[in-house]
Amino acid sequence: MADGQRYYLLRHREVPDIDQIAVYEAHEGYSALRRALKEFTPQAVVDLVKASGLRGRGGAGFPTGMKWGFLPNDGRPRYLVVNSDEAEPGTFKDRELIEHNPHQLIEGMVISAYAIGSHEAYIYCRGEFLHGAEQLRRAIREAYARGYLGENILDSGYSLDIHLYRGAGAYICGEESALLESLEGKRGQPRLKPPFPAVAGLYGQPTIVNNVETIANVPMLILHGAEWYRSMGTEKSPGLKIMSVSGHVRRPGNYEVPLATPLRTLIETYAGGVEPGQLKAIIPGGSSVPLLTPDQIDTPLDYESMMAAGTMLGSGGCIVMNDRTCMVAAAARLVKFYRVESCGKCTPCREGTYWMANVLERLEAGAGTDRDLELLLDLADNIGGKCLCPLGDASLGFMVSAIRHFRDEFEAHVREHGCPLGANRYDTVNH
Amino acid sequence: MIVDAAAKIGIEVPIYCYHPALGPLGACRMCLVQVEKMPKLVTGCTTPVAEGMVVHTRGPAVDKGRQGILEFLLINHPLDCPVCDKGGECFLQDYTFRYGPPAGRFSESKLERAKDAPISDFILIDQERCVLCQRCVRFLGEYAGEPQLMLKGRGVETVVAPADDRPVTSPFSGNVIDLCPVGALTSAAYRFKARPWNQVRYPSVCPHCPVGCPVTVTAREEHVMRVEGRPIPDRDWGWLCDRGRFGYDFAVHPSRLLTARLEGRPVPEAAALRQVARWLGEVRDRYGAGAVGFVVGGQHTVEDAYHLRRFAETLVGPGVQLAISQRVRGYLPPWLHGTYDDLEAADAVILIGADPYRAVPVLHLKLRQHWRRKPALPRWGVGVRPLGRETLPLRDLVVRPQAMAATLAWALQRAAKDHPAARAVAAGLGAWEPEDPAAAEALGHVLVASERPLLVWDGHDPEVETVLRALASVRGDRPTPVLPGFGPENARGFEWAGFPGGYEALRRLLEQAASGAIRFLAVWGADLMREVPDAGLVEAALARVEYAVFEGLFPPQGGERFGVWLPGAAWAEEAGTWSTLEGRLSPVAEAVAPPGDARPVRSILAGLARALKRPWTPEAWDPMVGTEAGLLPRPQRPEAEDLPSIAAPPPWRLAGDQLYVVAEADVFAQGAPSEILAPRRPAFWGRVHPETWAAFGSGPSGGRLTLEREGRRWTVSVGPDPTVPRGLLFLPIGVAEAPVYQIGEGPVTVAQPLEVRGG
Repeated sequence: MADGQRYYLLRHREVPDIDQIAVYEAHEGYSALRRALKEFTPQAVVDLVKASGLRGRGGAGFPTGMKWGFLPNDGRPRYLVVNSDEAEPGTFKDRELIEHNPHQLIEGMVISAYAIGSHEAYIYCRGEFLHGAEQLRRAIREAYARGYLGENILDSGYSLDIHLYRGAGAYICGEESALLESLEGKRGQPRLKPPFPAVAGLYGQPTIVNNVETIANVPMLILHGAEWYRSMGTEKSPGLKIMSVSGHVRRPGNYEVPLATPLRTLIETYAGGVEPGQLKAIIPGGSSVPLLTPDQIDTPLDYESMMAAGTMLGSGGCIVMNDRTCMVAAAARLVKFYRVESCGKCTPCREGTYWMANVLERLEAGAGTDRDLELLLDLADNIGGKCLCPLGDASLGFMVSAIRHFRDEFEAHVREHGCPLGANRYDTVNH
Repeated sequence: MIVDAAAKIGIEVPIYCYHPALGPLGACRMCLVQVEKMPKLVTGCTTPVAEGMVVHTRGPAVDKGRQGILEFLLINHPLDCPVCDKGGECFLQDYTFRYGPPAGRFSESKLERAKDAPISDFILIDQERCVLCQRCVRFLGEYAGEPQLMLKGRGVETVVAPADDRPVTSPFSGNVIDLCPVGALTSAAYRFKARPWNQVRYPSVCPHCPVGCPVTVTAREEHVMRVEGRPIPDRDWGWLCDRGRFGYDFAVHPSRLLTARLEGRPVPEAAALRQVARWLGEVRDRYGAGAVGFVVGGQHTVEDAYHLRRFAETLVGPGVQLAISQRVRGYLPPWLHGTYDDLEAADAVILIGADPYRAVPVLHLKLRQHWRRKPALPRWGVGVRPLGRETLPLRDLVVRPQAMAATLAWALQRAAKDHPAARAVAAGLGAWEPEDPAAAEALGHVLVASERPLLVWDGHDPEVETVLRALASVRGDRPTPVLPGFGPENARGFEWAGFPGGYEALRRLLEQAASGAIRFLAVWGADLMREVPDAGLVEAALARVEYAVFEGLFPPQGGERFGVWLPGAAWAEEAGTWSTLEGRLSPVAEAVAPPGDARPVRSILAGLARALKRPWTPEAWDPMVGTEAGLLPRPQRPEAEDLPSIAAPPPWRLAGDQLYVVAEADVFAQGAPSEILAPRRPAFWGRVHPETWAAFGSGPSGGRLTLEREGRRWTVSVGPDPTVPRGLLFLPIGVAEAPVYQIGEGPVTVAQPLEVRGG
């Protein structure tokens, strides 16, 4: 990272071959696990995570320690499930973590499973992550061979098995209850909540579902402590976050930043600034969140500030758009993603995303009418807050904010029967 | 849930995916309501009610939400209501009229999908009309445990389709027609036959098996159009099996008897009645009422049986011999007769010989729900073949034919060594032991120690009754409810009307006929040769009586023995009362008029009385009087009884060229013929173990075997079935092409494997 700052989660960038267990061990690898098993009771680990203020890095930002605390104490078996179904457009952090440093995740999983009293843990890996899955499979095998997994880990008396499961290419399976359905071998559809997975999750048993990046944070919490973690970020959003920057920037990629780093720093310093052209809009937290306009570029990257700015930090997938980007085309492309990825279980999401995608494609192709904008906003109102899971709402964030901020551009598409920018003609052919 | 609470006080909250029997799903979002202090609209089907909760089921936000959902549901809907069988009773239509948008705004092209595609021989799917509520998928997959429908594709491309592209074969498949809130799943037999508003709906009870499910018969212009389930709040969900739902066309079957016959010739009904009256008068006057026998069965109502008895007592005289036709030799004493409430409360379930899935399917569905709710309870199946199924797991105890009562008596005696009743029934067993003593002993403990066991008995082995009596005696004041998995249909109703129950009464009557003491025998509705276990006795009786009269729907087997055939009114052609499997009376309505010269029993009896020149009118009688909401009263458990002991079964011996014939009830094989159900008739009547089949046959799927006993030969179709133990041949009861009771149960020689068909 720039300015001599240390890497933590992205340590593999400094240490070649850290995906090999010998190299990982040589660089403090599994020392956190050793320490946790020797010096920490499970409850002490939970307390540490609570004290650190670590929040879920999958998108919702729910405090991890609090989530762990929801497990009922009723003697039933518990499961830890790591969500590696990273499929949010613009987000590619978990992919780098599992492809380049799988042992960090495995070490975090053993510590976390130890903390919550689970003896079976699962990794649900996005189907398209073939290399990541192979890395994980190999790393799991290595960890078993070295006694970090299996029976009586490091003579602690604690045992854990990790199972790797590859998804079949459905965005919805990143939603935790759909993930559990899929993991059970069923059709990937969200479940009713409540009950939440902590009470009735995998096979009806208490289950904790955490994101890859969340769990990857756990070893360094053991090594460096909660105080150290809290020294970064803000009171409510402490610690480090990997931001995935993509779009019209000079250096797209993953950047590990302390929370509350200004968005401007991320884009201009780390990602090298907008290129080509001028900044037009930024989606800061993955395709599901409303956009920010150039005047909001100084917003700090933490959960609260983003919320105050009308958007969300989400998964940290920061998509930068320059002034040649057609907002109608972008909205059409993003809504089409949700139309294709809607599981079909609930009516508003299933039919609504289909309808919106149709209208946006028509608009984009120049066949829009005066009533289409009002129709889109009304459809958004009929979807928003009325779906079974967050996917329906997620399909609206960008489109509604784009209409709000760039209404002229939408109206120009109707008036001029096509894109006034004459660029980025979106391919309307359905696949 | 909010929707249930609202329904209770008469407020409609529209729903598609929710069904109280299936539980909440939250998919359709139709039931959006506003709850005060909640920021967003919530689904009424997934939100439990709480003290002090204020719910608005109308209002601007709710109305807009509903309108939005309906508009979404309609964008890809074909709007083909004018040609849709569901039109007029469709929830999409009704809710759209009540809550929907005034006009559509969707101007894109609609997605095209499969229309009128068969998912089975009985059901068509129209994927364009489907609202993806998943009720059908969940009913078959979860409720019935036969996941034969599934969702395919995702997002807006999602459709309901048969799993693995194989036809739906579940015997409960027809329920998805009732469950479908729109016109996506419709009955092939009902297709384009009628519109809902041209039909009249009549409450009734299904006549096709002893369960007696509540049904609604809809009729138009003197034809039954269809049969639907009739839910009864807090008692019955209204599920039917396909036998009951689609078997209604028997009344218009080509073989239906529509004119009276005298010595085989069609005659006017009056002429036939005059002839019957002459015979009846002659026998009565010369030999007394004791020389007259009446057997009732078939599709008669309780009232029919009552009129028959009263007619016999008043016009023929006291001493007329009465009996109910029986299909098995066993009899369940009324004081042991359990109810569905007993099943609900049961802490153990034991099937004795009975395979409800084949014999009384909807009882299987009830047993399965009990298992789903309380999977850990002890559940046993004792039979000559394994009775457990994937949809109803049991601990199976397989016994040899003839060893059922002995095994149960042995088990009982092991579990209650010191009880005199247990000792008495087991006294004759001597040193005999069941094949699996440990399992039998475990079963005995479940029978004796459970607080509230529920037994289901197939009535096949009459000696089991003795063991059940002994078990009840051992259990003392703790209940021993038994549900009879055997018929005949409405048997308890006939008993309530004054006919003596049980096989013994029938056997005595037939023996008197065979010995010449009964000279006039009238059979009302029953096909004795086909259904009575001792077909030889029936043959002897019919051969000996001077006058035999048959009343019924279809020509009986051995029909030439009956001098007169009288066409009778069928179910749904006569109002009355019917008893169900739990011994509960329920009204059946007259939906259509009897066709041809067919007429109800009371009309036939009135005609007979006129021909006898005696005044007689059917008396009004309300069978509900004396029942508890229709539930027939149960007598007290008798005080200490002297119970006979069960003899040790003979050693199992079967020669290499022999098969052991076992009769079994199969609801799809037995009963009134149906052209709609023809595709569901078993391909082969008989079932043997695949290895047994390989020894006698040569085709991979089935063929015909010629069986021989005492010089008589029968040829029956037989196929392999891995659930049948080696050496046994299962044949369905009541099938003319495989007359199991004429062949006789027990060892039979395979004369020759004949032609093999299939491949």
